[in-house]
Amino acid sequence: MNVIETQDLCKQYGNALRVAHLDLAVPEGCIYGFLGPNGAGKSTTLKMILGLVRPTAGEIRVLGERMDRADRLTVLRQVGSLIESPSYYGHLTGEENLRIVQTLRGVPEKNIREVLQIVRLDGQRGKKVAHYSLGMKQRLGLAAALLGYPKLLILDEPTNGLDPAGIQEMRELICSLPERYGMTVVVSSHLLSEIDQMADVVGVIREGELVFQDTLNALHGCSRHHLALRTTNNEVARGLLAQKNIRCDQEGDYLILPILSDEVTALLSRLLAEWNLGVVRLEERQKSLEDIFLELTGKAASL
Amino acid sequence: MKLLRLEFFKCRRRKIALLCLAVLAVEAVWIVTSLTRQDAEDLRQGWMLLLYNLAMVDAIVMPLSVAVIASRNCELEHKGTTLKLLETMASPGALYAAKLAWGAVVLAALLLLRGAVFAGVGVLWQFPGEVPWVRFGLFTLIFWVVSMMVYALQQGLSLRFANQAAALVCGITGSFLGILSMLFPPALTRCVPWGYYGLLCLVRMDWNPETRFTWFFWRWPEPADLALLCLWAAVFLTVGRALFVKKEV
Repeated sequence: MNVIETQDLCKQYGNALRVAHLDLAVPEGCIYGFLGPNGAGKSTTLKMILGLVRPTAGEIRVLGERMDRADRLTVLRQVGSLIESPSYYGHLTGEENLRIVQTLRGVPEKNIREVLQIVRLDGQRGKKVAHYSLGMKQRLGLAAALLGYPKLLILDEPTNGLDPAGIQEMRELICSLPERYGMTVVVSSHLLSEIDQMADVVGVIREGELVFQDTLNALHGCSRHHLALRTTNNEVARGLLAQKNIRCDQEGDYLILPILSDEVTALLSRLLAEWNLGVVRLEERQKSLEDIFLELTGKAASL
Repeated sequence: MKLLRLEFFKCRRRKIALLCLAVLAVEAVWIVTSLTRQDAEDLRQGWMLLLYNLAMVDAIVMPLSVAVIASRNCELEHKGTTLKLLETMASPGALYAAKLAWGAVVLAALLLLRGAVFAGVGVLWQFPGEVPWVRFGLFTLIFWVVSMMVYALQQGLSLRFANQAAALVCGITGSFLGILSMLFPPALTRCVPWGYYGLLCLVRMDWNPETRFTWFFWRWPEPADLALLCLWAAVFLTVGRALFVKKEV
């Protein structure tokens, strides 16, 4: 079952289509990494899922229910969220901030202590949030999202502004949530390495369009090894390869071939020599995840 | 009720009570100073003089005070970007209504306390006759409604603009126009929302330029003015709420 499903979801601001015909599918119990460069439309999409932004077109289903404006709050009782920066009242303590969420969600008071322990803020609960560091505010935001132990947790760039230790801590915490509490987590980021370390399923968005959606393993599968061949006459070489049923693609000055066994490679080099074709380069290459991200998004990956 | 309770909870440490006491103190100093300048002849109409002066002071003090109270309550949502969290748990319309109800309770408390304090001032000053409780009650009720109309305008502005300068400038303008409009012809005063403090005052003053004698008399507010007041309030409430509900966070 998919916890979130969108069909043909669009959001237009002025003449610009910020989110274009998005078909998201977030399977239950997974960590879904929503990856894309800054300004790709991640936050807008997540806000539309939460009903904070009205879609221009399309349909959203969360936990099997249609997210109409009227009864969206009923569905959202089972959804925790942390969108962009954490929301807080600086003049209130961490515990008082959570009490507001607890009252609105109608969950037991004991949850406040529990979530403060989960995010390791129990020692700071009596301190005014204005005096918290950014990392602590971020953890408080996560605590607020966790307060009702929701079935679905939506975290938009949760590691923004955290130091490396804080990022590591947040990552470990997010990774533990599906197993510990049976939650489905949607986490957005512009950092490929972050999604690579957390997600089971990945959606890549570029300029509002979903350009990839599959498991992380499938994304890694795209990074397979291949051979790059350059000869004195690639056109003729390509014809010879086709005769031998070896699939190849032209990429610049190179012919890109799948990895071949040593015997087939030796046979190929002899064949080329017989046809008086000089082998200028024969390289073994591997596409990194960054290369794939670059191909998918058309932008440099943030590492 | 849950949302209204939360509004009070959120306003902890926002010094709202202190702000209200400051408003009361300014009005008290103003009125008491004015009373000390009156001779025994003027004080024969002490209760009317008091309510007349109170309306005048309200026209100056209340627009800005209401703007500050509304701003103190709304600003905290902008500061902590809390609306994107709150609106996943409550509808924007309900949040808007809770804030308005909070303002209504705060202003009611302020004006009731103010009524009691100035009734006490009149008793201490030994104004002739009984305390006109009914007039005091009606005065408080009418001025609460006028303040709520202004509050609806201020809340709309404070929630619409993160920078509270817009709302506060509106409050300052209101204070200026509030007192100035008392000099306008009634038809023009009706076009100034803050002018209703003077327009709906229960006391009128008659001043004879020849004898230079001032005379106060009781009067009832015009029903048309009350209707216009409700119309202004409805417009501010509807527009402010619509803009807030429509706004994407």
